[in-house]
Amino acid sequence: MEYQDDAKDRRITQLRKGILELAVMGVLYHERHYGYSLVRVLSESGAVSLKEGTVYPILARLDRDGLVRSEWVESAQGPPRKYYALTASGRRLFDDLSVELDLLISLVQRKWSVEQGSRASRKKVLVVKG
Amino acid sequence: MEMLNYPETVASIADDYLERVKAQLPLLPAGEREDFLAEVRSHIYEAYFESSCADEVARILAVLRNVGEPVDMVADRLPKSMVRSGAARNLPLYVLGGILVALFGLPLGFGGVAVLMGLLLALGGIVMAYYAVAGSLLFAGSLIGLVGLIRLALPGVYYQLVELGYINLGPPEFLAQVPASALGMLLIAIAILFAAGGIGMLRLGKKMLRGFRFLVGLAFDWMRSTAQKVRARFTPGRRDRRSAGHVQFVK
Repeated sequence: MEYQDDAKDRRITQLRKGILELAVMGVLYHERHYGYSLVRVLSESGAVSLKEGTVYPILARLDRDGLVRSEWVESAQGPPRKYYALTASGRRLFDDLSVELDLLISLVQRKWSVEQGSRASRKKVLVVKG
Repeated sequence: MEMLNYPETVASIADDYLERVKAQLPLLPAGEREDFLAEVRSHIYEAYFESSCADEVARILAVLRNVGEPVDMVADRLPKSMVRSGAARNLPLYVLGGILVALFGLPLGFGGVAVLMGLLLALGGIVMAYYAVAGSLLFAGSLIGLVGLIRLALPGVYYQLVELGYINLGPPEFLAQVPASALGMLLIAIAILFAAGGIGMLRLGKKMLRGFRFLVGLAFDWMRSTAQKVRARFTPGRRDRRSAGHVQFVK
Protein backbone atom coordinates (compact mmCIF):
# COMPACT_ATOMS: atom_id res chain seq x y z
CA MET A 1 0.00 0.00 0.00
CA GLU A 2 1.19 3.52 -0.69
CA TYR A 3 1.82 5.93 2.09
CA GLN A 4 3.06 9.47 2.10
CA ASP A 5 6.71 10.08 2.84
CA ASP A 6 6.13 12.95 5.23
CA ALA A 7 3.71 10.86 7.23
CA LYS A 8 6.45 8.29 7.60
CA ASP A 9 9.06 10.89 8.52
CA ARG A 10 6.80 12.42 11.12
CA ARG A 11 6.27 9.07 12.76
CA ILE A 12 9.94 8.20 12.73
CA THR A 13 10.70 11.53 14.37
CA GLN A 14 8.05 10.87 16.98
CA LEU A 15 9.37 7.41 17.72
CA ARG A 16 12.95 8.56 17.92
CA LYS A 17 12.27 11.48 20.19
CA GLY A 18 11.27 9.42 23.18
CA ILE A 19 13.45 6.42 22.54
CA LEU A 20 16.64 8.37 21.84
CA GLU A 21 16.14 10.16 25.12
CA LEU A 22 15.96 6.78 26.80
CA ALA A 23 19.07 5.62 24.94
CA VAL A 24 20.96 8.71 26.10
CA MET A 25 19.92 7.96 29.67
CA GLY A 26 21.10 4.38 29.20
CA VAL A 27 24.51 5.51 27.99
CA LEU A 28 24.89 7.95 30.88
CA TYR A 29 23.74 5.37 33.42
CA HIS A 30 27.18 3.92 34.17
CA GLU A 31 29.53 6.30 32.40
CA ARG A 32 29.84 10.04 32.15
CA HIS A 33 30.15 11.53 28.69
CA TYR A 34 30.57 14.85 26.95
CA GLY A 35 28.36 15.70 23.98
CA TYR A 36 30.67 14.46 21.26
CA SER A 37 31.61 11.19 22.97
CA LEU A 38 27.94 10.56 23.65
CA VAL A 39 27.18 10.91 19.94
CA ARG A 40 30.05 8.57 19.09
CA VAL A 41 28.75 5.88 21.42
CA LEU A 42 25.20 6.24 20.16
CA SER A 43 26.18 5.96 16.50
CA GLU A 44 28.76 3.22 17.03
CA SER A 45 26.40 0.50 15.89
CA GLY A 46 25.78 2.43 12.71
CA ALA A 47 22.18 1.30 12.66
CA VAL A 48 20.75 4.68 13.52
CA SER A 49 22.26 7.77 12.00
CA LEU A 50 21.51 10.96 13.80
CA LYS A 51 22.50 14.55 13.49
CA GLU A 52 24.99 15.13 16.26
CA GLY A 53 23.33 18.34 17.35
CA THR A 54 20.16 16.55 18.36
CA VAL A 55 21.69 15.22 21.57
CA TYR A 56 21.83 18.74 22.97
CA PRO A 57 18.06 19.30 23.17
CA ILE A 58 17.82 15.88 24.82
CA LEU A 59 20.51 16.79 27.33
CA ALA A 60 18.79 20.13 27.96
CA ARG A 61 15.51 18.36 28.72
CA LEU A 62 17.16 15.85 31.02
CA ASP A 63 19.02 18.65 32.78
CA ARG A 64 15.85 20.68 33.21
CA ASP A 65 14.19 17.77 34.96
CA GLY A 66 17.18 17.10 37.18
CA LEU A 67 17.88 13.72 35.58
CA VAL A 68 21.48 14.52 34.65
CA ARG A 69 24.18 16.64 36.27
CA SER A 70 27.01 18.24 34.35
CA GLU A 71 30.50 19.53 35.01
CA TRP A 72 33.27 21.12 33.00
CA VAL A 73 36.47 19.11 32.90
CA GLU A 74 39.79 20.28 31.45
CA SER A 75 40.92 18.30 28.45
CA ALA A 76 44.51 17.29 27.74
CA GLN A 77 44.12 18.57 24.20
CA GLY A 78 41.74 21.31 23.22
CA PRO A 79 39.04 23.17 25.12
CA PRO A 80 37.39 21.83 28.31
CA ARG A 81 34.57 19.31 27.92
CA LYS A 82 31.20 19.38 29.57
CA TYR A 83 30.55 15.96 31.06
CA TYR A 84 27.10 14.62 31.85
CA ALA A 85 26.10 11.78 34.16
CA LEU A 86 22.75 10.42 35.26
CA THR A 87 21.65 11.48 38.74
CA ALA A 88 20.15 9.04 41.24
CA SER A 89 16.64 10.06 40.26
CA GLY A 90 17.62 9.73 36.61
CA ARG A 91 18.74 6.15 37.25
CA ARG A 92 15.53 5.29 39.01
CA LEU A 93 13.50 6.75 36.18
CA PHE A 94 15.53 4.88 33.58
CA ASP A 95 14.88 1.58 35.38
CA ASP A 96 11.15 2.24 35.35
CA LEU A 97 11.09 3.42 31.77
CA SER A 98 13.06 0.50 30.39
CA VAL A 99 10.57 -1.91 31.93
CA GLU A 100 7.81 0.08 30.28
CA LEU A 101 9.66 0.03 26.97
CA ASP A 102 10.12 -3.75 27.11
CA LEU A 103 6.39 -4.16 27.54
CA LEU A 104 5.66 -1.90 24.61
CA ILE A 105 8.20 -3.57 22.36
CA SER A 106 6.86 -7.02 23.18
CA LEU A 107 3.45 -5.72 22.22
CA VAL A 108 4.72 -4.49 18.86
CA GLN A 109 6.79 -7.57 18.07
CA ARG A 110 4.30 -10.16 19.19
CA LYS A 111 3.41 -12.55 16.40
CA TRP A 112 -0.25 -11.98 15.85
CA SER A 113 -1.19 -15.18 14.14
CA VAL A 114 -2.88 -14.75 10.79
CA GLU A 115 -5.41 -17.49 11.48
CA GLN A 116 -6.51 -15.90 14.73
CA GLY A 117 -6.92 -12.55 13.05
CA SER A 118 -9.08 -13.85 10.21
CA ARG A 119 -11.27 -15.84 12.56
CA ALA A 120 -11.86 -12.76 14.65
CA SER A 121 -12.82 -10.70 11.64
CA ARG A 122 -15.17 -13.43 10.39
CA LYS A 123 -16.87 -13.47 13.73
CA LYS A 124 -17.36 -9.75 13.54
CA VAL A 125 -19.07 -10.05 10.15
CA LEU A 126 -21.38 -12.73 11.51
CA VAL A 127 -22.30 -10.52 14.42
CA VAL A 128 -23.10 -7.67 12.08
CA LYS A 129 -25.26 -9.91 9.92
CA GLY A 130 -27.04 -11.47 12.90
CA MET B 1 38.36 33.31 22.31
CA GLU B 2 40.96 30.73 23.22
CA MET B 3 43.47 29.27 20.84
CA LEU B 4 42.19 26.11 19.25
CA ASN B 5 44.99 25.43 16.77
CA TYR B 6 42.64 25.72 13.83
CA PRO B 7 43.90 26.98 10.53
CA GLU B 8 42.55 30.47 9.95
CA THR B 9 39.88 29.61 7.38
CA VAL B 10 38.62 26.74 9.52
CA ALA B 11 38.46 29.03 12.56
CA SER B 12 36.40 31.58 10.69
CA ILE B 13 33.98 28.94 9.41
CA ALA B 14 33.57 27.55 12.93
CA ASP B 15 33.11 31.04 14.37
CA ASP B 16 30.46 31.79 11.80
CA TYR B 17 28.58 28.67 12.82
CA LEU B 18 28.85 29.61 16.50
CA GLU B 19 27.49 33.05 15.69
CA ARG B 20 24.50 31.39 14.07
CA VAL B 21 23.94 29.30 17.17
CA LYS B 22 24.25 32.41 19.29
CA ALA B 23 21.67 34.19 17.14
CA GLN B 24 19.21 31.45 18.04
CA LEU B 25 19.52 32.22 21.72
CA PRO B 26 18.68 35.90 22.12
CA LEU B 27 16.64 35.38 25.26
CA LEU B 28 19.06 33.18 27.13
CA PRO B 29 20.88 34.79 30.06
CA ALA B 30 24.46 35.58 29.04
CA GLY B 31 26.05 33.00 31.34
CA GLU B 32 23.88 30.18 30.07
CA ARG B 33 24.47 31.21 26.49
CA GLU B 34 28.25 31.29 26.86
CA ASP B 35 28.14 27.92 28.56
CA PHE B 36 26.23 26.36 25.69
CA LEU B 37 28.43 28.04 23.06
CA ALA B 38 31.51 26.67 24.82
CA GLU B 39 29.92 23.24 24.68
CA VAL B 40 29.27 23.52 20.95
CA ARG B 41 32.76 24.87 20.39
CA SER B 42 34.20 21.88 22.21
CA HIS B 43 32.03 19.53 20.17
CA ILE B 44 33.23 21.02 16.88
CA TYR B 45 36.81 20.83 18.03
CA GLU B 46 36.58 17.18 19.05
CA ALA B 47 34.85 16.24 15.82
CA TYR B 48 37.31 18.18 13.70
CA PHE B 49 40.40 16.54 15.17
CA GLU B 50 38.89 13.08 14.97
CA SER B 51 38.24 13.47 11.29
CA SER B 52 40.77 12.14 8.84
CA CYS B 53 39.85 14.18 5.79
CA ALA B 54 42.89 15.80 4.21
CA ASP B 55 41.32 19.03 3.02
CA GLU B 56 40.78 21.41 5.95
CA VAL B 57 37.78 23.26 4.60
CA ALA B 58 36.03 20.09 3.47
CA ARG B 59 36.76 18.70 6.92
CA ILE B 60 35.18 21.50 8.92
CA LEU B 61 32.23 21.65 6.55
CA ALA B 62 31.64 17.92 7.00
CA VAL B 63 31.84 18.33 10.76
CA LEU B 64 29.27 21.13 10.75
CA ARG B 65 27.03 19.18 8.40
CA ASN B 66 27.06 16.28 10.85
CA VAL B 67 26.31 18.58 13.76
CA GLY B 68 23.23 19.85 11.96
CA GLU B 69 21.38 23.16 11.90
CA PRO B 70 21.71 25.56 14.85
CA VAL B 71 17.92 25.67 15.06
CA ASP B 72 17.77 21.96 15.83
CA MET B 73 20.48 22.27 18.41
CA VAL B 74 18.90 24.90 20.61
CA ALA B 75 15.42 23.38 20.75
CA ASP B 76 14.18 22.85 24.31
CA ARG B 77 16.64 25.37 25.60
CA LEU B 78 14.26 28.27 25.06
CA PRO B 79 11.18 27.87 27.25
CA LYS B 80 13.11 27.17 30.42
CA SER B 81 15.41 30.09 29.85
CA MET B 82 12.48 32.39 29.20
CA VAL B 83 10.89 31.50 32.48
CA ARG B 84 14.15 31.60 34.31
CA SER B 85 15.29 34.98 33.03
CA GLY B 86 12.00 36.41 34.27
CA ALA B 87 12.45 34.82 37.66
CA ALA B 88 15.98 36.12 37.88
CA ARG B 89 14.64 39.65 37.56
CA ASN B 90 12.13 38.84 40.24
CA LEU B 91 9.23 39.65 37.97
CA PRO B 92 7.08 36.54 37.79
CA LEU B 93 4.29 38.86 36.70
CA TYR B 94 6.13 39.51 33.46
CA VAL B 95 6.34 35.80 32.89
CA LEU B 96 2.62 35.45 33.52
CA GLY B 97 1.90 38.42 31.27
CA GLY B 98 4.18 36.96 28.64
CA ILE B 99 2.35 33.67 28.72
CA LEU B 100 -1.01 35.43 28.48
CA VAL B 101 0.17 37.64 25.63
CA ALA B 102 1.61 34.59 23.92
CA LEU B 103 -1.72 32.83 24.29
CA PHE B 104 -3.96 35.67 23.22
CA GLY B 105 -1.54 37.46 21.02
CA LEU B 106 -0.46 40.89 19.96
CA PRO B 107 -3.87 42.49 19.35
CA LEU B 108 -4.65 42.31 23.05
CA GLY B 109 -1.29 43.12 24.56
CA PHE B 110 -0.95 43.83 28.26
CA GLY B 111 -3.87 46.27 28.33
CA GLY B 112 -6.19 43.83 26.59
CA VAL B 113 -5.14 41.06 28.92
CA ALA B 114 -5.86 43.31 31.89
CA VAL B 115 -9.38 44.03 30.57
CA LEU B 116 -9.90 40.34 29.93
CA MET B 117 -8.76 39.45 33.42
CA GLY B 118 -11.04 42.13 34.85
CA LEU B 119 -14.03 40.73 32.98
CA LEU B 120 -13.24 37.23 34.14
CA LEU B 121 -12.87 38.42 37.74
CA ALA B 122 -16.23 40.24 37.54
CA LEU B 123 -17.92 37.12 36.19
CA GLY B 124 -16.24 35.11 38.93
CA GLY B 125 -17.67 37.60 41.46
CA ILE B 126 -21.19 37.12 40.10
CA VAL B 127 -20.82 33.37 40.37
CA MET B 128 -19.60 33.72 43.94
CA ALA B 129 -22.52 36.00 44.86
CA TYR B 130 -24.93 33.49 43.40
CA TYR B 131 -23.52 30.74 45.53
CA ALA B 132 -23.53 33.00 48.59
CA VAL B 133 -27.29 33.53 48.13
CA ALA B 134 -27.87 29.82 47.71
CA GLY B 135 -25.79 29.10 50.78
CA SER B 136 -27.61 31.68 52.94
CA LEU B 137 -30.98 30.31 51.80
CA LEU B 138 -29.93 26.88 52.98
CA PHE B 139 -28.58 28.32 56.23
CA ALA B 140 -31.74 30.33 56.95
CA GLY B 141 -33.88 27.32 56.10
CA SER B 142 -32.08 25.08 58.55
CA LEU B 143 -32.28 27.75 61.28
CA ILE B 144 -36.04 28.20 60.82
CA GLY B 145 -36.44 24.45 60.73
CA LEU B 146 -34.57 24.18 64.01
CA VAL B 147 -36.82 26.80 65.62
CA GLY B 148 -39.90 24.96 64.32
CA LEU B 149 -38.67 21.70 65.79
CA ILE B 150 -38.03 23.35 69.14
CA ARG B 151 -41.53 24.84 69.06
CA LEU B 152 -43.02 21.42 68.32
CA ALA B 153 -40.96 19.28 70.67
CA LEU B 154 -39.95 21.62 73.46
CA PRO B 155 -42.52 24.43 73.75
CA GLY B 156 -41.14 25.38 77.17
CA VAL B 157 -37.69 25.99 75.81
CA TYR B 158 -39.23 27.87 72.86
CA TYR B 159 -41.06 30.37 75.06
CA GLN B 160 -37.98 30.80 77.19
CA LEU B 161 -35.91 31.60 74.09
CA VAL B 162 -38.54 34.08 72.90
CA GLU B 163 -38.55 35.66 76.33
CA LEU B 164 -34.78 35.99 76.30
CA GLY B 165 -34.95 37.57 72.83
CA TYR B 166 -33.01 34.81 71.08
CA ILE B 167 -35.97 34.05 68.89
CA ASN B 168 -37.63 37.03 67.27
CA LEU B 169 -39.99 36.00 64.49
CA GLY B 170 -40.73 38.48 61.76
CA PRO B 171 -43.87 40.60 61.39
CA PRO B 172 -45.96 39.89 64.54
CA GLU B 173 -49.29 40.84 62.95
CA PHE B 174 -48.80 37.98 60.48
CA LEU B 175 -47.72 35.40 63.05
CA ALA B 176 -50.37 36.50 65.57
CA GLN B 177 -53.06 35.02 63.32
CA VAL B 178 -51.38 31.65 63.35
CA PRO B 179 -52.62 29.43 66.13
CA ALA B 180 -49.82 28.66 68.57
CA SER B 181 -50.14 24.93 67.99
CA ALA B 182 -49.67 25.27 64.23
CA LEU B 183 -46.68 27.59 64.51
CA GLY B 184 -44.17 24.74 64.67
CA MET B 185 -45.55 23.09 61.54
CA LEU B 186 -45.66 26.43 59.71
CA LEU B 187 -42.03 27.13 60.57
CA ILE B 188 -40.98 23.73 59.30
CA ALA B 189 -42.92 24.27 56.10
CA ILE B 190 -41.17 27.60 55.59
CA ALA B 191 -37.84 25.92 56.35
CA ILE B 192 -38.49 23.27 53.71
CA LEU B 193 -39.35 26.02 51.24
CA PHE B 194 -36.09 27.84 51.95
CA ALA B 195 -34.05 24.65 51.75
CA ALA B 196 -35.73 23.70 48.48
CA GLY B 197 -34.89 27.14 47.12
CA GLY B 198 -31.27 26.78 48.14
CA ILE B 199 -30.87 23.30 46.71
CA GLY B 200 -32.63 24.33 43.53
CA MET B 201 -30.21 27.23 43.14
CA LEU B 202 -27.25 24.89 43.62
CA ARG B 203 -28.62 22.49 41.03
CA LEU B 204 -29.25 25.28 38.57
CA GLY B 205 -25.85 26.73 39.35
CA LYS B 206 -24.14 23.56 38.22
CA LYS B 207 -25.83 23.83 34.84
CA MET B 208 -25.10 27.53 34.62
CA LEU B 209 -21.46 26.94 35.43
CA ARG B 210 -21.25 24.42 32.65
CA GLY B 211 -22.73 26.91 30.22
CA PHE B 212 -20.49 29.63 31.57
CA ARG B 213 -17.40 27.50 31.13
CA PHE B 214 -18.47 26.68 27.61
CA LEU B 215 -18.87 30.37 26.80
CA VAL B 216 -15.50 31.25 28.30
CA GLY B 217 -13.84 28.43 26.37
CA LEU B 218 -15.50 29.63 23.18
CA ALA B 219 -14.33 33.20 23.76
CA PHE B 220 -10.77 32.08 24.48
CA ASP B 221 -10.63 29.92 21.37
CA TRP B 222 -11.92 32.73 19.26
CA MET B 223 -9.39 35.18 20.67
CA ARG B 224 -6.55 32.77 20.14
CA SER B 225 -7.41 32.03 16.53
CA THR B 226 -7.88 35.74 15.79
CA ALA B 227 -4.57 36.47 17.42
CA GLN B 228 -2.86 33.82 15.36
CA LYS B 229 -4.36 35.18 12.16
CA VAL B 230 -3.26 38.72 12.96
CA ARG B 231 0.18 37.57 13.99
CA ALA B 232 0.63 35.56 10.83
CA ARG B 233 -0.31 38.59 8.75
CA PHE B 234 2.02 41.05 10.41
CA THR B 235 5.02 38.90 11.22
CA PRO B 236 5.49 36.18 8.63
CA GLY B 237 9.00 35.53 9.97
CA ARG B 238 7.69 34.27 13.27
CA ARG B 239 6.59 30.98 11.84
CA ASP B 240 10.19 29.93 11.21
CA ARG B 241 11.09 30.78 14.77
CA ARG B 242 8.32 28.65 16.16
CA SER B 243 9.48 25.60 14.33
CA ALA B 244 12.61 25.83 16.44
CA GLY B 245 10.60 24.28 19.23
CA HIS B 246 10.63 20.88 17.58
CA VAL B 247 13.39 18.39 17.53
CA GLN B 248 14.11 17.31 14.02
CA PHE B 249 16.01 14.25 13.08
CA VAL B 250 17.50 13.86 9.68
CA LYS B 251 17.72 10.49 8.13
